[in-house]
Formats: sequence, structure tokens, C-alpha cells
Amino acid sequence: MRALDWVIVVVYLVYVLVDGVRRAKGTRELEGYFLANRSLPWWAVGLSVMATQLSAITLIGTTGQGATDGMRFVQFYFGLPVAMVILGVTLVPFLHGAKVFTAYEFLERRFDAKTRSLTSLLFLLARGLSCGTIIAAPAVVFSAIFGLDLVWSVALMGVPTVLYTMIGGVQAVTWVDVKQMVLIVVALIAVVVVLLVQLPVSPDDALAVAGAAGRARVFDFSFDVNETYTFWSGVIGGTFLMLSYFGTDQSQVQRYLAAKSVDEARSSLLMSAYWKIPLQALVLLVGVLVFVFYLFQAPPILFNPAHERAVRQAAPGALNALEGRYGSALAQRQAAAEAAIQARDNGDAQAVTVAMDAFRARAADAEAVRGEALAMAEAVTGESSRDVNYVMPTFVLHHLPVGLVGIFIAAVLAAAMSSIAAELNSLATVTVIDYYRRWVRPQGSDAHYLLVSKAATGFWGLFACVVATFAATLGSLIEVVNRFGSFFYGSILGVFLLAMIRRARPVGAFFGLIAGMAAVAAVNFGAPAVSFLWHNVIGAVTVVGVGVGLSALRASASPPAPPSSPSAG
Amino acid sequence: MTAPHSSPDAASARFRRTLLRVMAVQLATLLLLWLLQAHYTP
Repeated sequence: MRALDWVIVVVYLVYVLVDGVRRAKGTRELEGYFLANRSLPWWAVGLSVMATQLSAITLIGTTGQGATDGMRFVQFYFGLPVAMVILGVTLVPFLHGAKVFTAYEFLERRFDAKTRSLTSLLFLLARGLSCGTIIAAPAVVFSAIFGLDLVWSVALMGVPTVLYTMIGGVQAVTWVDVKQMVLIVVALIAVVVVLLVQLPVSPDDALAVAGAAGRARVFDFSFDVNETYTFWSGVIGGTFLMLSYFGTDQSQVQRYLAAKSVDEARSSLLMSAYWKIPLQALVLLVGVLVFVFYLFQAPPILFNPAHERAVRQAAPGALNALEGRYGSALAQRQAAAEAAIQARDNGDAQAVTVAMDAFRARAADAEAVRGEALAMAEAVTGESSRDVNYVMPTFVLHHLPVGLVGIFIAAVLAAAMSSIAAELNSLATVTVIDYYRRWVRPQGSDAHYLLVSKAATGFWGLFACVVATFAATLGSLIEVVNRFGSFFYGSILGVFLLAMIRRARPVGAFFGLIAGMAAVAAVNFGAPAVSFLWHNVIGAVTVVGVGVGLSALRASASPPAPPSSPSAG
Repeated sequence: MTAPHSSPDAASARFRRTLLRVMAVQLATLLLLWLLQAHYTP
């Protein structure tokens, strides 16, 4: 990176910190700190919701996925619009109207304290760990491409985020999110423009060769539960996942609880319903265009520079030989792509088919050589050599014009920081509202709770940074944490669905939740090939089934009891 | 489940309108993605 790019990154970090901290003015009580006194406009909340969901890995990993796997990942989001509409007319009015701080507080009013405590504990466990992995994933990439020590990479993202979240509360998180979301969209559009300008072929030809390599395939209608991204897993499993995430995860719920009114809260969610799929398609399209770009510009054999250095040190001769073969394969692939485009321009359908087949064969040859290099990297480093997260950073650092590199890196930091800030804010809220105020000190002053909330934010920030440092060195831990979350995401949704069933009783909710998690664990270990998107469906359905059954048993054994009275929490 | 202070009929009508609008936008997006696949994938 050039000096101007570093200046842009530093200016961004300083601006975010100053802007976030100045939002602390006027935040003197708990409701202001956690919910902005329920005063935020729908568009700010909507942008904050989108920024929270869009992490750094979306920018660097999803674009890389577009380059290596094409557009089909977009199917993951097909359930989101339906989920947003359902939440807008069901859970959002209830949670907003109940004037609660957390989604789990509502569960005590409907069921009992132990159901509230169990769901909030699950949230703290999952989000506390996942916050660390959200920092770890981009930190590892930054560490490899800039040669920074991992601790510094973690600190670069973690320290400013913890500071502005701790001092400014939800006001800082939301208003900084708004600016970060704008920066992310601007950076993406700028990259698309640069790519289209730098490509030596027309956009139509670019998409044609990308399509020939399978990168334009969006829909997979097969009903295969082992396949993660299909139309059906996206629509059915995705709807359950998004209902869980946006309806029961405090990091999202807290965003729309801070909206001015129920209608503004609904509108904020609908912003995601309208824009999420197009935005995600744009992110993947960037990756597809990067793939085409690298057809005409030789890419490195290994995108992860740390692995490349390790392999070059351990087996320089073997790597040089592979690079020689890779160079020849790339030259043949480029020639085949150019021949295919020429055939298209000539309008000869049969020649196009032959040329596209030849291009696919040459592309497969190049991938086979690269596969050997990846296997070598895995053998040398003992780590997974999957380098999809390094494709986009490599392109950005080597091919974007000066200035735009800094803007893109700032956008990656923005994406990471917006997700981290929302999670820290929600972790502190649940810690203070669902535990400290509920169980430890129910009668404290607002000033006292505010102080404890800031300390809780700082604690979770430190915890996340420590987890990030360790998670980064234990690559598989990231996957473990993600799987751990999927164990109970659907089950928590099941408890909220039970809350809407009049006959459901506390005993059904509590033991239904445990049964749901057990069912997901059984599927996970008994049939590990079932895609995680289906875990949410299994968890939610089990909780509702067991919960309704147990409630009916309890009802037949005793007369109906009124719902628990609202708690102090 | 309906919003506090609003009638079930009003909430239901609002839900249908919103659902229609969101679905229309999504269908248009899916159609574009389908055209992208159909036109460029051999």
C-alpha cells in the first residue's frame, strides 16, 4: 500500500473514533445508552441492521467465493425477505410495544425466569465467541498481506471499536454504522467500475466466459440436504435462519428496538428485505469479475502470501517448477478465453460451443496445477490452504489505483467494526439487563447501571480480542464456533414461536428448548452431512412440537395458570 | 399475533400489502438473476 492509502485508512479510523465518542453527549441514562431513548429514524436503523450483518468476511470472503464458486451463494439469502415481512407483523410490534431492552426479557413475561436466563446465556456464549471470530477472520488476512503481527491486526479493528462502543453506546454504534454502510457501498461500486474499465473485454463477453466456467450459475433446484446452497435450503432453511437471526438475536433486535416507533422499526427491517439480495448479488458479481480479470492477468499460484513464503522457503525448487507449469497453463487458458470471445463475436454458434469447451478444459488444467500448489502449502504449513479469503485482497493491493486501495481497506475495516460494535453493545445489554439487573442488583440507580454497562462493553471487547488472537492460531476453532451457534439458533426461534401459541406453558418452553438443541446435536453428529441451514428448521420444529406436547400434558394434569407477571428486568 | 393498539384486520391488510411489495421486488431480482444464468450459462 502507498502512503496515500495508509493516510485514508488512518483518517477513517480517527474519524470513526471521534464521531462515535461525540455521540456519548446526552447519554446519561440506561435507555439512552442501550436504546437511544427509542428515538432513531427508520433509515438509520435500517442501514445499521445491514451494516451489522455485513462483516469483513462478506467483503473479502464472499467476493472470493464469487471468484472461485460463482453466484450460487446468493441463494443463502432467498429466505430473508419473507422472514423480514413475517417479523415485521409478528415479533417486532410485540417486542417494541413491550418496551423491553432485550428479546429474552420478553420470554420471562410470557414464560418464566429460567427460560429467559437459558436463552440469554446461550446468546452470550455464542455471540461472545463469534465476536472473537468476526475479528479473527479479517485479522488473519490483514496479518498475512501486510506482514503485521496478528496482535496488531486484532488491535487495529478491536481497539477503536471497543472505545467508541463503550463510550457512545447504541447512538455511536448506529450513526457510525450509517457512515460505514455508505463507505462499503461506495467502495464496492468503485471496484465494479474499475474492474469494468480494466477488463480487456466487454462486460457481455466477460459474463460469457464467466458463465462458461460456471460462475454465472445462480439457481440449484436439487433437493439435496447435504448441499449447503440450494434454492430450497435458501428459501426454507434460510427463512428459519433469518427469522432466528433478526427475530431473536439481540445484536439485531436491539437495532430496531431503538427505532422511534413500531412502524419505523418495521420499515428498518424492510430495508434489508428490499436490498439484501441485490447487494449480495453485487458482492458476488465483484468476485465473478475478478475471476474474469485474472483470466487476462496472471494471478499468483497461491493467494495467501504467508503460505507462499512458507512453501518457497521449504521447497523452492518444487514451487518454481509448479509456477512454470502454472504459467503455461494460464497462457493456454487465456488463449482459449480469447478464442471463445472471438467465436462469440463471429456469431458462429457451433464454433462458440467448441471454443467454450476448450476454454473449460484449459481452465480445469490450470486449476489442477494450482491444486498441487495448495496441497503443497497444506503439507508445509499444516494449515488449511483454502485461500478464498485472499483473492480479493490480492486483487485490491496489486491492481486497484492508489487511493482506492485505501478506500477498500477502510471499507473492510468498516464492515468488521460495524459487526463487532453491534455485538459488543448487545452482549453488554444482555449482561446488564438479563443478569446483573435481574439477579445481582435489581434496585440500582441508572447512573450505576450505566457505569456497569460501559464496564461490560469493555469486558466483552477485551474478551473478543483475546478470543480472536487464539481463534486465529487455531483455524478450526472458527468452524467450531460457527457450528456451536447453529446448535441452538433454531431452538431459540422455536421458543419465540411457542410464545405466540396461547396454550404453551413455561415447562413446554424450557424443556422444548433443551429438546430442540439435543435434536440438532443428534443430527449434527449422527448425520454430519446435513447442511447447517436445515439445523434451524429441525431445532425450531422440535421445540414447538415438544413444547406443545408438554404444555398439553401439563394442562391435562392441572388447571390453566395465568402467564408470569412482568419482571423488574 | 398482531401489533398492540391495532386491529387484526388492519394488521392483516398491512401485512398483505407489504408482502406483495417485497415479493414483487424479490421476483424482479430473481428474474434478473435467472436471466443472467440462462443467458450466460451454457
